[in-house]
Amino acid sequence: MLSHLFKLIWNKKKQNFLLLMEMFVSFLVMFAVFTLLVYYYKNFKVPHGFQYENVWAVNYNDAVKPDRLDSVALYMQTVRQTLLGVDGVQDITFTSANIPFSFTQNNNFVSYNKNKVLANVYEAEDNYASLFNLSVISGRWFDKTDIAGQTNTIVINNRLKESLFGNDEAIGKTILAGDEKLRVIGVSNDMKIDGDYQPTENGFFRKLDTAGLKYNSTILVKIRPGIDASFEPKLFKVLNNVIRNANIEIEHFTKKRERKNTLSLVPMILLSVVGGFLIINVALGLFGVLWYNINKRRCEIGLRRAVGASGSAISWQLIGEALVLSTLAIILGSFFAVQFPLLNVFDLPAGVYLTAIALAIAFIYGLVMICALYPGKQAAAIYPAVALHEE
Amino acid sequence: MLPTQMQETSATNRLQKKSTPMISLKNIEKVYRTDTVETQALNNLNLNIGKGEFLSIMGPSGCGKSTLLNIMGLLDVPTSGEVRIDDNTTTNFPDKQLAAFRNRKIGFIFQSYHLINDLKVLDNVELPLLYRKSTGKERSILAAQALEKVGLSNRMKHFPTQLSGGQKQRVAIARAIVGQPEIILADEPTGNLDSNMGNEIMDILLQLNRNDGTTIVMVTHDEQMARKTHRLVRLFDGSQVL
Ligand SMILES: Nc1ncnc2c1ncn2[C@@H]1O[C@H](COP(=O)(O)OP(=O)(O)O)[C@@H](O)[C@H]1O
Ligand SMILES: [Mg+2]
Repeated sequence: MLSHLFKLIWNKKKQNFLLLMEMFVSFLVMFAVFTLLVYYYKNFKVPHGFQYENVWAVNYNDAVKPDRLDSVALYMQTVRQTLLGVDGVQDITFTSANIPFSFTQNNNFVSYNKNKVLANVYEAEDNYASLFNLSVISGRWFDKTDIAGQTNTIVINNRLKESLFGNDEAIGKTILAGDEKLRVIGVSNDMKIDGDYQPTENGFFRKLDTAGLKYNSTILVKIRPGIDASFEPKLFKVLNNVIRNANIEIEHFTKKRERKNTLSLVPMILLSVVGGFLIINVALGLFGVLWYNINKRRCEIGLRRAVGASGSAISWQLIGEALVLSTLAIILGSFFAVQFPLLNVFDLPAGVYLTAIALAIAFIYGLVMICALYPGKQAAAIYPAVALHEE
Repeated sequence: MLPTQMQETSATNRLQKKSTPMISLKNIEKVYRTDTVETQALNNLNLNIGKGEFLSIMGPSGCGKSTLLNIMGLLDVPTSGEVRIDDNTTTNFPDKQLAAFRNRKIGFIFQSYHLINDLKVLDNVELPLLYRKSTGKERSILAAQALEKVGLSNRMKHFPTQLSGGQKQRVAIARAIVGQPEIILADEPTGNLDSNMGNEIMDILLQLNRNDGTTIVMVTHDEQMARKTHRLVRLFDGSQVL
């Protein structure tokens, strides 16, 4: 029967070509949709790696700071003490502007032996890890013995550790950032800094030094549990008093995360809308063609019934034809789709593409089944005696 | 060289006496109901057709000939009455069983051939074999043999649209006989053909009847053709008149 279906399809290749192309394009669109979906889901399942719920980010611009670095340090010390003195503030830390869920980036190539990768560079103080509840997997976080500009100690995240060292020990090793030598003292958990749907990235922490403070514009404030949003104006007032002439902006990490997530969802939504329209189009087209086919082929159906086809044999034949055609489209589509993992386009894990191919195949077959089932049933109900006497 | 009708008729009588009929119709009535009209297509019709008999049916257009053939061929069910094929009462057969029964027992030939234009001649002839257990090889061997019988071995790879009317009808005959059915039902098989081609088709049917003992029921408008068969039944307004 299968070879019979192939003959029928082959001998009607002109009519079937358009349908085949529609299925092929739908397959590719669904492949794209599912790739993104699987990728997002995979990222979504990875834990954030840090606690941000009670953390607020303070951004201040154009602050007038003293010229001399030691005066800056003193000035910032005052800011710190003032904030820590506020009831409701649990902890604060100064850091570089590329905080989690921000739109600021700072990266650099780092290398160890032959491995060279791009990594985010974060500047952090001794209490950064504890403020975010960021765990240190091995080695240690910064302490008083680390002196910026002298010891050049860094803490790398787990992802960077794996990129550079694989399964080998990283602690105590020296890596290169440009011509600068940096000594690894700890490996931290990965932080999912770009929101729920984005992957973790290579990154390492350097100790924030006094020179850094001069240009510092970001303070992380950890709020005591149970404190609500009404605390914000109060904090704002304190900040306004202690940092003179600055543009102060307070943002909650929960908000920042939402904003980041929305941004990730935009391409997803766009693709889904485009894909949705295309799929509806294809479904209607498929349904229409099958419907048209059974009406055009009433005589053929009547004849087949006369020579011994049962009603269900007729509907399975029509469904079978649609399935054979979609199989051809899927084979063609898969050929293109597997090029993505093979050529490593977009740098996604191969598993994401393969899962997406499997899902797209299931989707197309499901769609074809749904579109073919009803026309197939109608075909089975065609009365042979009547169909054979129409011309 | 054809025997006279008289001789044929007596031969048929002998056949009928000897065995149970191949097709037996008892009190067949067929009424078509549409929203506005009710058509009595067949009216209390009784007919026995013996094994190996070649019967022709004549009658004016619309008198119910095709309806009668459809009922014999199990493509349609009578409103009332009993149909027996080779001693099987088919009234309560479910769809699947009916289909299998048609497939094994009956070959159809139509005025308008009903070939599938998207399939080559050989594939058209194979069609009945697709609906029974068979391998591709068996199918093509049997189909080639059937085509040889109708003298079309050299047209196997053609599409139906590349054939003349007479050739098309020969393909249809090959398709009807490929499964070696005991019955062939032919609804005006020569109706679309000129007399030369019509005679060719008629000769093939006569040969099938004579050599293979196939029971044939043929609807025709041609007295000449009808005279070559064993027996002639005339229908008028759904009833047998002769
Ligand atoms: N499916 C149908 N629905 C309604 N009436 C029909 C149908 N088929 C046939 N008829 C009517 O039944 C009568 C007999 O038709 P048919 O058997 O085709 O006649 P014939 O083959 O002798 O020309 C005609 O009056 C025809 O109009
Ligand atoms: Mg008719």
